[in-house]
Formats: sequence, C-alpha cells, structure tokens
Amino acid sequence: MQFAQFVLTRAGMAIVTLLLVSFIVFSLMEMVPGNCAERYLAYKNTQGQSITVADIEAEEKRLGLDRPFIVRWVSWIGNVFVRGDFGESCILRVRINDLLGNKIWISLGICFVALLFAYVIAIPVGIVSASANNPVTNNTLRFVSYLGLAMPNFLLALMIMLFSTMVFGDSLTGLFSKEYRDAPWSWDKVMDFLGRAWLPIVILGWSATAFALQTVRALMSDELGKLYVTAARARGIHGRQLLWRYPARHALGPIINSLGFDLNRVFNELPIVAVILTLTEAGALLLEALARSNDQQLAGAIIFMLTAAIVALNFLTDLLLSIIDPRMRRSVMGG
Amino acid sequence: MSDAAVTTRALADQRLKEAYFTASQAQLIWARFRKQRAAMVAGAVLVVLIVMGLAAPFLSPYDPTIAGRDKDYQFGAPQIPMFCDHNGCSPRPFLHTLERTRSIKTNFRWVTEINTEKRRYVQFFVEGWKYHLFSVELDLPGKMLDVRLRGIELRTHLFGIDEGGIHIFGTDSAGKDIFSRTLHAIWTSLAVGTIGMLISFFLALIIGGVSGYFGGYIDGLLQMITDAVRTVPTIPLFMALAAFVPTEWSAETRFFFISIILGLVGWPTLARRIRTHLLTERNQEYVLAAQLCGASPGHVIRRHLLPSFTSYIIVDLVISFPYMVLSETALSFIGLGLKEPVNSLGVLLQAVTNADVLLNYQWHFIPALFFIALVLAFVFVGDGLRDAADPYSDQHR
Repeated sequence: MQFAQFVLTRAGMAIVTLLLVSFIVFSLMEMVPGNCAERYLAYKNTQGQSITVADIEAEEKRLGLDRPFIVRWVSWIGNVFVRGDFGESCILRVRINDLLGNKIWISLGICFVALLFAYVIAIPVGIVSASANNPVTNNTLRFVSYLGLAMPNFLLALMIMLFSTMVFGDSLTGLFSKEYRDAPWSWDKVMDFLGRAWLPIVILGWSATAFALQTVRALMSDELGKLYVTAARARGIHGRQLLWRYPARHALGPIINSLGFDLNRVFNELPIVAVILTLTEAGALLLEALARSNDQQLAGAIIFMLTAAIVALNFLTDLLLSIIDPRMRRSVMGG
Repeated sequence: MSDAAVTTRALADQRLKEAYFTASQAQLIWARFRKQRAAMVAGAVLVVLIVMGLAAPFLSPYDPTIAGRDKDYQFGAPQIPMFCDHNGCSPRPFLHTLERTRSIKTNFRWVTEINTEKRRYVQFFVEGWKYHLFSVELDLPGKMLDVRLRGIELRTHLFGIDEGGIHIFGTDSAGKDIFSRTLHAIWTSLAVGTIGMLISFFLALIIGGVSGYFGGYIDGLLQMITDAVRTVPTIPLFMALAAFVPTEWSAETRFFFISIILGLVGWPTLARRIRTHLLTERNQEYVLAAQLCGASPGHVIRRHLLPSFTSYIIVDLVISFPYMVLSETALSFIGLGLKEPVNSLGVLLQAVTNADVLLNYQWHFIPALFFIALVLAFVFVGDGLRDAADPYSDQHR
C-alpha cells in the first residue's frame, strides 16, 4: 500500500516536471524571432513567389498562431500527451512524428548503450582503485579520468576519424552503409548498424566513463572508511567478498540516483558528435533545425523528447532505489 | 648539546605552533594546498596560461585577425627556430629563407621553397603592429552600455624576424598566424568563462540563497524550477538560446551575448549546493550560540555564515570554470557560438572539421593542446583547492 502511494506520488512529480520543462521549451521556441507562418512564407518568397501581409495573416490563422500564448501551449502539450502528436514542422511541412520516426529511438538507444558501457567499465575499475593504496595507480586513474573531461568529444571523434582514414582508408562515419540507408529494417541492416554504431557509442561513453569513474571512486572511498567495514573485517571477511558485500552495495545507491543526470550529460554531447560523424539521427536533426533552418517546432519536439527520456529515467531509477532501499520512500513522501 | 640550543629550538617550536594556531583560514588553505604536488604543478601551468592570455598581443608577433595575415605563407607548416644547420651553429636562433619560385618545373605555379643556405635571424623586442594592452571594449546594442578603456598603446613585441614571417605554429587557410591566434583565443576563452561564471554565480547566490534562507514553500517551488532547468540537456538548451542571436550582430556583441547565455544556463548546480549548505549550516550550534549571545542576523551572516562558505564557493567556482570553457568551445565549434574575427579555441578548432585540413595540415590541432592543458590545469587546481579547503581532509586518508 505504501509502495503504491509512493509510486503514484513520484509519477505525479515526474509529470509536473515534464509540464514545467515543456513550458520552458515552448517559451524558448516562442522567443525565436519570427513565427512559423512568417518563416515558411519567407522561404517561399526566396523561391520566387510574392508574399503579401494578408498571406501571412491567413497562414497564421490556419496554423492557429493568432491565439494567445497560453492557449497554444495547452493545445500543444495536450496533443503531445494525449495523442503523441508533435504537429507539423515549420519549414518542411511534414508531420514531425514521420520526420523523427525511429531517429529519436536510435539516438536514445545510442545514449543508453553509451551510458551502460561507461558503468560497465567504471564500476569495477572505480571500486578497485578506491581500495588500492598504490599512489601510482591512483594518480594514473585520476589523470585519465580528468583527461576524459578535458578532451572534448568532438576532438576525440576527429582524431579517431583521422586515424582510421590514414590506417583503414575508411572514415567510419554515418550510421548505415549506402545500400541499407533507405532499406526497411532487416537482420542485415541491424548487423550493419551495429558495425557502425560502436564508434559513436565509444566516443560518447568515453567522457561518461571518466565521470562515472570519479563518482564511483569517491563514493567507495567514503564508504570504505566507515565503521561497518571495519566491523566486517574484524569478523574475518576480507578481499573481494568484503568489497562487494558491504561498501559496494551502499555506494550503488547514489550511483543509481545520478543515472538520469548522466544521461543528460551524454545527450549534451550527442549533437556535436553526430555532426562530426555525420550520423543521421535526432541530434544532427536538432542542430540542423536550430542552426540552419530555424525550425522551432522540430527543435522543440526533439528537446522535449530528450528531456522526457531523462525524466522517465529519473522516475525509473527512483522506483528501483525504493525497492533496494526502503528509506528512499520516506524521503519522497516527506515522512 | 647546550641549554641555549635547546631553548632556541623550543622557542622556534613554540613560534611554529603559534603561527599555526593564529593562522587565518587563507593561510591554512595555502599551507595545505602547497603540500599537493599535482595541484601545485597545475597551478603553475594555469598562471603561465593566464599570463600568456593577458599578454597575448605582446607575445604574438602578428595581428590575429585578417589584417595580420601572411599572403605568401598560407597553410604554412610550423617554423621552428633552430640554432644549428649544416653550415654550423649560431648563438642566435634563425630560420632559413623561403623563396617563391615559378618555372617550367613547377608547371608555372608559385611554389614556396626553403633555401637552406640563407639564414634569417630571430629578433627580440621588435616594433610591429599597434595594440592596446589591457584594453576593454564592449560594444553592446544601445549607446549607454558601451564601455571603452583604451589601455596602454604599444608597438613592441617579444620576438620577430629579419624579413618575411615567423610562424612557430604554422598558418591557416588565410595565412593567419596560428600562434598569435592561439594566444588570443586563450584570452577569449578565459574572458567568456569569467563573465559566464560571474553571472551564474550571482543567479545561484540569489536563487540558492532565497531558497535556503526561507525554506518551506518557497524552497519547494524554487527547487522544482531548478530541477526542471537541470533536466533539460544544457548543450541543446545553449543551442536553442544561441539561435536567437541575430546574424547581423557584431562579433563583440555576440561574444558578450554568448557569455550571458552560458551564465543563464549554468546556475542550477551551484544554486542547489548553496541552498543545501545554507539549510544545514543555519541549524549548526555555532550559529545558535551566536544568536544566543545576542548577535544580529547581519552579524551572524557576515561573521559566521559567510566565512564557513567563502572557501567552499571559491572552490566550486574554480571547478565549474572548465565547464564554461568547454561549453563555449563546443558551441563555437558547431557554429552557434563565437564567430571569425573573434578568436576562441572553439573557432580555431572549427577549421579542423574540414577534411582537407584534417588530412594535410595537422598543425591546426596545436590550439587543442592548449585547450586541454587549460581545462586540466583548472580541474587539478580545483581538486587541490577542494582538499585544501576541507579542514578534515587530513583525517580522511
């Protein structure tokens, strides 16, 4: 009973956050100079059609842009929540759902796998490095993990491209080979995709690993100094069994808790890496929409989807935590 | 051993202890910071980089903008001054001369050749292009906001060469000197980071302060907003904000606007920390003790809360600084941040995306090394400061 109540409270909080975020995103998109109607008609104007003020007003009416801001936000968010419909793209005049299609899922998938990759490396290495008292190992790990922070992903991507072009003669860019680009999904296409997707995953995972390594190490060395570890050691437990059974479990909580924000960090890097590796996924589309075509509807939809993924992950990790650690339930319920 | 020696040693001991017990917080932090070798090295690197950025026009032999380009040396390789060649050695570093020739052998195209027989000697403290050291110029929309500090007008540069050019990091596609551009870029990145950090610091102080001081409903509401802002991935948010910048704005205005954007997006993490710190700190015994002694709230905040706080905030600012620089670089790199006449590390690295540059002119990567050094130095100094500012750090290990 208490658990159900917790889930409901937490879900309510997630939805409120999502609404708040959607409001921020929508206002941002609104602040871009010029609205959808003007932009589309200005584009037509460059194609040789003459446009009058009346045309713009008619177009605004058709798109419903003459309604007040709040009304438009409510109808936008209503469509998104109820029907999962993001409306039409400003410039391209196609439905955003068709445009994004599985691109957004590819992006989310790449980011999740990169995050997984990061923790698969960071958890064992971090635990070992926290318990090792060798200053050389510690300093090397510290340096490597800081290098992961200091060396931006785009630089790493460029260097890998340079290296692979010089050694293999293939720049390893793109997500699909030419013959599979427009083909429907099939086993061969999946294999081809996996053969190319590892590079963005490794590049995105690189800085995430550096970050995760630091977190795991700091948490573990905090836990290792605590009395229960000494007590367990006094009872004769030692070595790997001691590490995994006691401090590692405690250190896991905060790590699960921060997964959502780690995903946020991975998303940050996605558009830049996507541009360099010429990936055809949502990150590149977002950059295209913002930097070149100024397509506010499309950009808003992508940012909203990315944020929704983070909110959803935060929700899931909280549920997971509350199952592992019942104390968490109380902190959310305020009891 | 004589009695006198023992007393002097005891006295010296006493003085040392006294110095320790009466040391101010800053002195204690400095003493702990000095013990960490990695942080000290990083600090030295950081100071060198900052001085390089400050004195960029003096150190750079050429104007970093298009005005200082070398028409005869485009996409030129780095020229490293040498002391010895096959004709013997000289105490003064020199370069070989470059000669542009055109003949039937080169298909009548201009080709630059190195003539290893003739030397050009490096000169020090030469007169070159005019610049203003320590000048501040802001050209914002609206006359009211223009700030103009001329600084010191100078023509002297650290080094130059007899005739022709000296490009120790090579030149780019237009013939601009990459060394000069890198130095100016360090300055720009530091300036953007500082402005962005100050803005986010003030926002964080106000929002975190209000949230932590009042608590209750206000805290709940502000925390919800902070969390929502934190959930939106920052780079896409930067990109959305930067897309507002009209293309016709001047490079300087753009620069200022981008710094403001960095500040506007960067506050949530710091705000949250300040709030948490205030919430725990205001219930501490020493605050209660001060209140019981009849101290006014102003006195408590000034004399008790702020000192518990300042070192903490300084550390946080140093640690958050590299993120500002990283964000600016990423933003400029994708073309939404700073643009050409302004030199920033992101603008410089943008050139590398060109496949031709990537494959044939790898000296364009040199600015990246400076960038990595800058970020690493900041992170290590921040780390060292954090350990030094924590009075219990000795007991941890």
